[in-house]
Amino acid sequence: MALDPGEYDISELGPAIQDVEDVDELEDILEAEKAGENRVGAKQLVESRIEKFREDGEDGGDGDFDPTEMSPADIANALQDVDSVDRLKEIRDMEEAAGSRDNVLRLIDKRVDSIQGSDEETVVDRAPPEERHPDLDHPTADKQYVEDLEDGTYRDMWVYCETTDGELLDVSREMLGKARRLMDGYNDEYGRDERVVAVLLGDGVADLTDEVVELGADVVVYQDDPELARFRHKPYTELFAGMARAGGALGRQSRPRNDEAGETGLALDEEPDAGDSSWRDYDEPRYVLFPATDDGRDLSALVQGELDSGLASDCSGLYIEDTVISNPAKTGREGDKREFEAVLHMKRPDFSGFEYSTILCLDNPTREFHPQGASVIPGSFEAPDPDPAREGEAYEYDFALPEDWFRVDVTEHDELDSGVDLTGHDVVVGLGRGIGDDPTAGMELGLELADAFEDAALGITRGIVTSSYDFEGHVEQYAREERQIGETGQVVEPKLYVAAGISGAIQHKVGVDEADTIVAVNTDPDADIRDFSDYYVEGDLFEVLPALVDALESGELDEAALATGGGDDD
Amino acid sequence: MRTVTLTKGVPDFREGQVSFDEDGHLERGDTPTVMNPNDEPALRASLQAKVRNGGTASVMSMGPPGYGDVLREAMESVYADDLYLLSDREMAAADTWATAITVATGIQNMDEEPDLVFAGFKTADGETGHTGPQTAWCLDWPLVTHVVALDVDTEAGTLRAKRLVEGDADEIETVEAPLPAFVVTDPEFEPSYRRAEHRLTHKDLREETRQRAGEHEDHMTVWDHSDLNLDPDFIGLDGSPTIVSGVDPIPKAPAERDATMVDPSDPEEMAGVVDEMSRFAGGD
Repeated sequence: MALDPGEYDISELGPAIQDVEDVDELEDILEAEKAGENRVGAKQLVESRIEKFREDGEDGGDGDFDPTEMSPADIANALQDVDSVDRLKEIRDMEEAAGSRDNVLRLIDKRVDSIQGSDEETVVDRAPPEERHPDLDHPTADKQYVEDLEDGTYRDMWVYCETTDGELLDVSREMLGKARRLMDGYNDEYGRDERVVAVLLGDGVADLTDEVVELGADVVVYQDDPELARFRHKPYTELFAGMARAGGALGRQSRPRNDEAGETGLALDEEPDAGDSSWRDYDEPRYVLFPATDDGRDLSALVQGELDSGLASDCSGLYIEDTVISNPAKTGREGDKREFEAVLHMKRPDFSGFEYSTILCLDNPTREFHPQGASVIPGSFEAPDPDPAREGEAYEYDFALPEDWFRVDVTEHDELDSGVDLTGHDVVVGLGRGIGDDPTAGMELGLELADAFEDAALGITRGIVTSSYDFEGHVEQYAREERQIGETGQVVEPKLYVAAGISGAIQHKVGVDEADTIVAVNTDPDADIRDFSDYYVEGDLFEVLPALVDALESGELDEAALATGGGDDD
Repeated sequence: MRTVTLTKGVPDFREGQVSFDEDGHLERGDTPTVMNPNDEPALRASLQAKVRNGGTASVMSMGPPGYGDVLREAMESVYADDLYLLSDREMAAADTWATAITVATGIQNMDEEPDLVFAGFKTADGETGHTGPQTAWCLDWPLVTHVVALDVDTEAGTLRAKRLVEGDADEIETVEAPLPAFVVTDPEFEPSYRRAEHRLTHKDLREETRQRAGEHEDHMTVWDHSDLNLDPDFIGLDGSPTIVSGVDPIPKAPAERDATMVDPSDPEEMAGVVDEMSRFAGGD
């Protein structure tokens, strides 16, 4: 279903359509805008995005855009199509008249320089480290964890499909669906034929290969072994990296050494006994996705370390597009620009829910950082319906599992009383940073209110989890992450949600959207949460909650208390 | 026994401390630096090791020279014997992988190899949780994450840890590993001091450290990239695979519900809310 542009201010529309890659859907949005408010800026935003994803799109490089409505990153991309210095000056004037953002002006100036300056591409010619840093004896490049892959070949998107008790996690399905859509778009855009490769590790995972293909994988690689029944850092990392890495002449010299004796890590086609590697002819994957679960996050960090590359964790948005970068760490020289093709843009909620950051994993002039990796927050993408007609290939591997990989020995495991489950209650009371004036008293009030209902649970926002509030001992247990509601916590669907002192960041909204009725209590009449509340009590939770508790317990409202409590202090 | 605890300074995210520019971007420069609150469990684990197993405790951080205060705070909380600050402009703006390479080299550069390195689960600013595991990978040490309880047997040279494992039903896993090992603590880590002598040691150490923390700079070693023989291409921004290409304020959600405004001092309006709620009333 296409979003309704009329519900967004222009500044919000850009981020909102950032994940929409389907041209038809974008056309629908554009039509809706034309039929509705018909704003020039909004139409341009959508049109520029259509341009980006339309196959064989007619070259729209006339620079007909308004920089004041665009993010610096979009401007950097758009500027690449503008070859007229006069037009660039017009764009610069527009920016100066409006926001006059320093970084945008610099981008435009650089574009002007590059057109007016010499036509020759600046070749990055960096002196060897020995010359630039004669004071060091340069051991870093020889470290066991640094890879020396030059002009490597990178293809395909690999997806680590985590399982539990012999079944795929939902997030594994969601990632396969997203990977399928991303690679279909990528293959269309670049006229290539790259695949989605699913990785399964564990005990009994052989039974899952068909399902993984039905959900979007072209190739499944797996190792099924009772020794892998429980997630273990070392063997899982070695196996994933071994599957992801080619051997051969190129691979051998570049691979990190795993120990001081210089023994290298595993590589698929160097161990023919372990299985067939003929289906691939590249050094390492282009992209990899992991679930942002506890195990998935650990594995993502270790695999990317072993492959000497980078990753963004806890992403909720992913898209592939070309990008132009002027960061000197990536270009090799201050003032240069470098174009990167088909970069995985990884968006993650950052800074305790205040911002989205877009992270890119890019080669440096002297080091290649592939695969580009991300871990994905469960629930961020829709799981596809399985398509029984889809076909794919499955390859089983049987790498030897050296004892040394099991240095960390699991001696016992016991099920835990399942933490705190906020789902399945009639009522959930949520507390946010509005309790900050007296966190302990605020928490007590939230608990009292929850107690006044027959079946209620107490939840908190991410803001409280990451706060440094000093709770007194008896309520401290309620401030833990296990009670967090939202995108990175639990998603609740109660009949009644009471949001006390919660401003309503989008990441919290995601966790309560499905509640039948939402009652907010907040001193700020314009807090974001008002837009998704059914009742909005504009008042101080320290006064309103006691009144509600009283009313629920006695069955009637104490009008006198309200009248004095809610009015001006006097 | 020798332990090293890794810690980091992060912006203070408490209400009122965070400042934004007019585009809604976080202004880091104007936000004060405090010790990463998620490192506290790691510091508690290190303290437990020092009290129960003796030996020396070190704290290591990478950051600007101003991190001295963060380290002093850490010194007080683990009764640390010495502090290490990896500080250099070449190290600035590192992502987790470049940080891991730097910190692992710092650990390898110590006079005596530590038996245990502790790290917290995540930092409050980046929240990736990658630096700890990646540092362990560089060292090629056994790694145990999400640790909630720890016992060290110095004679046998092993550790025994309980760790949280999420799943359909969450589990507690008991693991054993040889030292040296790398421990990432869970926010729920609880130290235990079962014997009276532990509690007494605790008290003595507190006195002793209070004095040391006052002159913490005398106990601090600062290393730059040439001290560590680290090539600038492998550390800091230049050595980082990832960059942040853009930051957007999280967009305001479109209005989906039409809120009825309620003035809490108006009994009639409040009665509407109470009606809505009283269907579910009936607790104790």
